[in-house]
Amino acid sequence: MEVVEQGMGQLFSRTTPDDFRKAMLEKADTMNNDKRMDLKEAIKRFVKNGDYLSIGGCSIVRLPMAFIHEVIRQGLRFRMAAGTRTFDIDLFLDNDRVLEIDIGYILGLEMLGIPQATRNRVRDRLKKGDLKFCEWSNGTMAWRHKAAAMGVPFLPVRTLAGTDTFKFSGAKKVKCPFTGELVVLVPALYCDVSVIHVHRADKYGNCQIDGMLNEDVEKARSAKRVIITTEKIIDTDEIRKDGSRTIIPQFYVDAVVEVPYGAFPTNMPNLYYLDLDHLQIYADAAKDVSGKALENYYIEYIYGVKDFAEYLEKCGGKHRLNELRGIELMERN
Amino acid sequence: MASNDKKYNNIELMASVASRYLEDGKVMFAGTGIPMLAAALAQKTSAPNLVLVYEAGGISPAASMLPLSVADSRTTYRAICNASMPEAMEMNQKGLVTYAFLGGAQIDPYGNLNSTMIGTDYYNPKVRLPGSGGANELGSLAWKTLIIMNHSRKRFVEKVDFITTPGYLDGPGGREKAGLPPGTGPHLVFTELGLFDFDEKTKRMRLKSVLPGVTVEKVVSETGFQLIIPETVPVEDEPTKEELRLLREEVDPWRVVLRRGDNNAQE
Repeated sequence: MEVVEQGMGQLFSRTTPDDFRKAMLEKADTMNNDKRMDLKEAIKRFVKNGDYLSIGGCSIVRLPMAFIHEVIRQGLRFRMAAGTRTFDIDLFLDNDRVLEIDIGYILGLEMLGIPQATRNRVRDRLKKGDLKFCEWSNGTMAWRHKAAAMGVPFLPVRTLAGTDTFKFSGAKKVKCPFTGELVVLVPALYCDVSVIHVHRADKYGNCQIDGMLNEDVEKARSAKRVIITTEKIIDTDEIRKDGSRTIIPQFYVDAVVEVPYGAFPTNMPNLYYLDLDHLQIYADAAKDVSGKALENYYIEYIYGVKDFAEYLEKCGGKHRLNELRGIELMERN
Repeated sequence: MASNDKKYNNIELMASVASRYLEDGKVMFAGTGIPMLAAALAQKTSAPNLVLVYEAGGISPAASMLPLSVADSRTTYRAICNASMPEAMEMNQKGLVTYAFLGGAQIDPYGNLNSTMIGTDYYNPKVRLPGSGGANELGSLAWKTLIIMNHSRKRFVEKVDFITTPGYLDGPGGREKAGLPPGTGPHLVFTELGLFDFDEKTKRMRLKSVLPGVTVEKVVSETGFQLIIPETVPVEDEPTKEELRLLREEVDPWRVVLRRGDNNAQE
């Protein structure tokens, strides 16, 4: 296949389909284990400094916030897949916890605008060269996860062509060996670890999700290690009642951690709406470009609390969570 | 600017005008913000059968409230399908999606969009922006791309600092030469000053109409490139009382998006 044109972006994950097959072979032996554990143990066993990380959910919806807070407290740094990443990647960027990013979308906070302090920090780190980007798009990032989930080295797609996004990506344009037409190839993205927050899982890691799936089906199937945080652990009998609801089956999962409200302040479809007030507190702090207000935010809500439960208390506890549940269920009344 | 008994801000104006151009019975991708407002308004007025697809996978939801994110539960509430990003993007890739509705930070005469960075050096940008998001897919694959932006010489530029999302690239045939699906491209551009389409021959942006109270001279002076100006330029109707009521009471009662226009209310 003749390469007609190629992007100059660097590939940050070098895991090949054969590397991944070996990882899967090892994992297959653990598939029937009871994988319940607490968050600290899951991180200790399955997350390493410098890992290439993918995070489930999308934008300000169903983010594994309990995990994100804990790894920030622990000081771990990552390379990261960033299709539609907002609040999660902003927290990592504010604390210099991410070194290399495959960008679909970063920095935004949907209707709350772009956090200025975060944006300036990114600009300065980019200039110093201690933050590296490769440009992609949400679609090509999803397809890169999908290619990896399929166990193949790349997928042909019909986007990116003709743009600077292509030039700064790691994609290649070729002539289709069947038709001779131009097509863009995107490389499979195998991640070291993927962390996904779900509605329900059993002790083996069979997971059910309500609402949008984004690319979580693909992410769970293409990471060497998968941590599931879940609102609730349910019996396998419940899973077996309707296997069509199992979005992620047990053989991909390494850890199952029960964290009620683990996506707060982001939206958990059918359970609680996003906390616009809390997100606004963050967005307001990020308006202070000196970084001082953000520093206070982190002391107040992450570094100054011992765990996620204490953070929830700080943000209004049961009372606020019930309000968010009310907002979420408004449409049903 | 507008008559004194009809106070509305730019966001209300843009959403009302854009909503009238959304075609009933088609599949459309809408981004967060004004595109979602316009789509929600259109569904309550002229386009009840407009089918919305959200990139995180929500297909044709039936929530009465405005989603605050392309993924939130309002994008899947009573949806016909909770799909995924690959599926949503593949609907586009297969030609099922007629319209995509996007924003951007900069646009050029060929409708190329920048949402990646402002400046001349990618590695040392003046301002780093979020990047493509789903825009590159939508602009590459939808049959007709709708664009909504604020209008100024800084945003309507001869050459964008970075082509994040393809318009007609360097002109007629540019997209096909690059390998993008034929027959696709930018269709309309909505701003707080006017509406624009693209000349069939040259693929350059053309003024289609102005918004109430806006002159052609004003549009030209706020545009950093040569626009095609037709002989007659119609004026769009002001938002109706009903459009404003729907936007304020039903579509965005919390004014999450609408309030962003409050500092430039037109009186």
